[in-house]
Amino acid sequence: MIDFVWLTLIKATPVIYAALGGVLSERSGVINIGLEGMIAIGAFTGVCVSYATGNAQAGAAAGVLAGALLGALLGIAATRFRVEQIVAGTGINLIALGGAAYGLVVVFGQPGASKQVAALGTGGETAMVVAALVLAVLLHLFLFRTRGGLHVRACGENPRAAEVAGIDPLRVRLWATATGGAFAALGGVFLAMAELDLYSDGMSAGRGFIALAAVIFGRWNPLGATGAALFFGAFSALQYTLQRSGIPSELMQALPYVAALVALAGFAGRARAPAADGIPYVPVR
Amino acid sequence: MIARAAFCLTSALVACCVVLGGCGRSTSQGKVKVGMVTDVGGLGDRSFNDSAYAGLVACKSRARAQIQVLQSKSAADYQPNLTVLATERFAEIFAIGFLMNKDLSEVARRFGDRSFAIVDAVVDAPNVESVTFKEEDGSFLAGALAALVTKTKSVAFLGGMDIPLLRKFEAGFAAGTREIDPTTKVLVKYVGSFDDVAAGKELTGVLYDQGADIVYAAAGKAGLGAIEEAKQRAGRYVIGVDSNQDGLAPGKVLTSMVKRVDNAVLRVCRDAVAGKRPSGHIVLGLAQDGVGLTDFRYTKIAIGEANIARIARIRNAIVDGKIVPPSTREELERFKPVPAP
Repeated sequence: MIDFVWLTLIKATPVIYAALGGVLSERSGVINIGLEGMIAIGAFTGVCVSYATGNAQAGAAAGVLAGALLGALLGIAATRFRVEQIVAGTGINLIALGGAAYGLVVVFGQPGASKQVAALGTGGETAMVVAALVLAVLLHLFLFRTRGGLHVRACGENPRAAEVAGIDPLRVRLWATATGGAFAALGGVFLAMAELDLYSDGMSAGRGFIALAAVIFGRWNPLGATGAALFFGAFSALQYTLQRSGIPSELMQALPYVAALVALAGFAGRARAPAADGIPYVPVR
Repeated sequence: MIARAAFCLTSALVACCVVLGGCGRSTSQGKVKVGMVTDVGGLGDRSFNDSAYAGLVACKSRARAQIQVLQSKSAADYQPNLTVLATERFAEIFAIGFLMNKDLSEVARRFGDRSFAIVDAVVDAPNVESVTFKEEDGSFLAGALAALVTKTKSVAFLGGMDIPLLRKFEAGFAAGTREIDPTTKVLVKYVGSFDDVAAGKELTGVLYDQGADIVYAAAGKAGLGAIEEAKQRAGRYVIGVDSNQDGLAPGKVLTSMVKRVDNAVLRVCRDAVAGKRPSGHIVLGLAQDGVGLTDFRYTKIAIGEANIARIARIRNAIVDGKIVPPSTREELERFKPVPAP
């Protein structure tokens, strides 16, 4: 039982980080489908810096910073240049995944997977699992209990009203997207440096897209999204445990995704996205 | 408006450079051009694709060929990659992986005057050399070794994807354990991906928790995760696959079931440089040194001399045809252990 709960948490943690990043960015009005790329760049940068410095903490910090920069890139594209956000997010994924693949050759002299580097270890793994849950609560309190959170939500619901009230929606959106990128990168740092000690091409393996689903399933609410990620994690853990010879493994492997789909179809009908989510804002001034 | 256009253009350029830069890798010098298209696992898997690449590099140094590798990011890249090499007049073009089966048939038909080779699949065309391995032979030895070493009477197979190729590993492994001790439990799980390293680690953890103390990981890069998990557990081992992975975690990787894709690539490559045309289908088993176990460099003490000698005897029995390892689940059900040599 403890094994099962732990496996659920391990499986859910990277998705939680990425989903929290998605919630923050979408609450401010920027759709972020670049979460997958942000996970990858967080993982890759973390491993590279850890390799160069021999210091896992420095690597983790650099990974988070890289995610923030990638988030800021999306933020600038979405606000200053009013680029279609789905296209920009797709571009972010291409740049990050392709860049990391190329970076492996440059930094490690070998494509595909990095060398093993100094990592955060099992202690770091446990800390990051707990931190994900704490971050979810903090983000929830921030969004719904503070003035700053109100500003973020206002920009996502009605940026014109927010601007009239003296808030700069473009600035808020930029900061929210950059911070969201940092959160998503934490998911990558967890994968590459807490669970493992290397970066490997494609290791994000769709977790950023599961996180996108968790954002919707969780109704753009940090605790809801965390619950959705845990739901996905629990079904993955179940799948791992129940797989055995005799039952087609493809069927079992599809279980978490089918469960997510059913849940989305069942609950998401009542969910409502922030009114101005994904709509570029043209300031009055 | 101009700023916006410039931004878009720059982003697009950066994306292009990154994507193109990521997949092309060429090495110059030499005369005969030999090309290779990797499978989606790609270079750096320390396994199948890397082994093929090692063969290509050997071909460059020993046969003085000019080599080029194109990596496939998805199955949609196979045909374009193969076509690029075919139009650029490569003397021999390697398709690494059974997934390229259909695409290679088509490209080989369009470019009838080029020579191709495919590893792990059989393409019936006059200008294609097919190379396959008897993975069940090597896996049988891995299974026998696992059954000899296990202390929990329970071992496990972790595959990348549940496909016929991987079932050859699974069937051979399970039969190998039966050869030693039919009561040894064999757990079987599949990752569903060759890339998801974290999932490979998590599943290996589950297998250890369910009682297995040795996991035979035939899962590409996901197998690296299996090795990571073994490092954190006392008394637990992994058996690596395709390339020699023993050094990735000395003492924790009991052995590796190596598939000498490098030798196969070098062999076909030399023929190409010498101007020979493809000769059809090559099957490489234990007898041809196409598959086999490593030299137990870091695990001799854990395994023990007597067991190593026993594995050598079983190997000879397979080479002599006294034992025929099963290559499918159906054959595995019918498999009867031969009185132990």
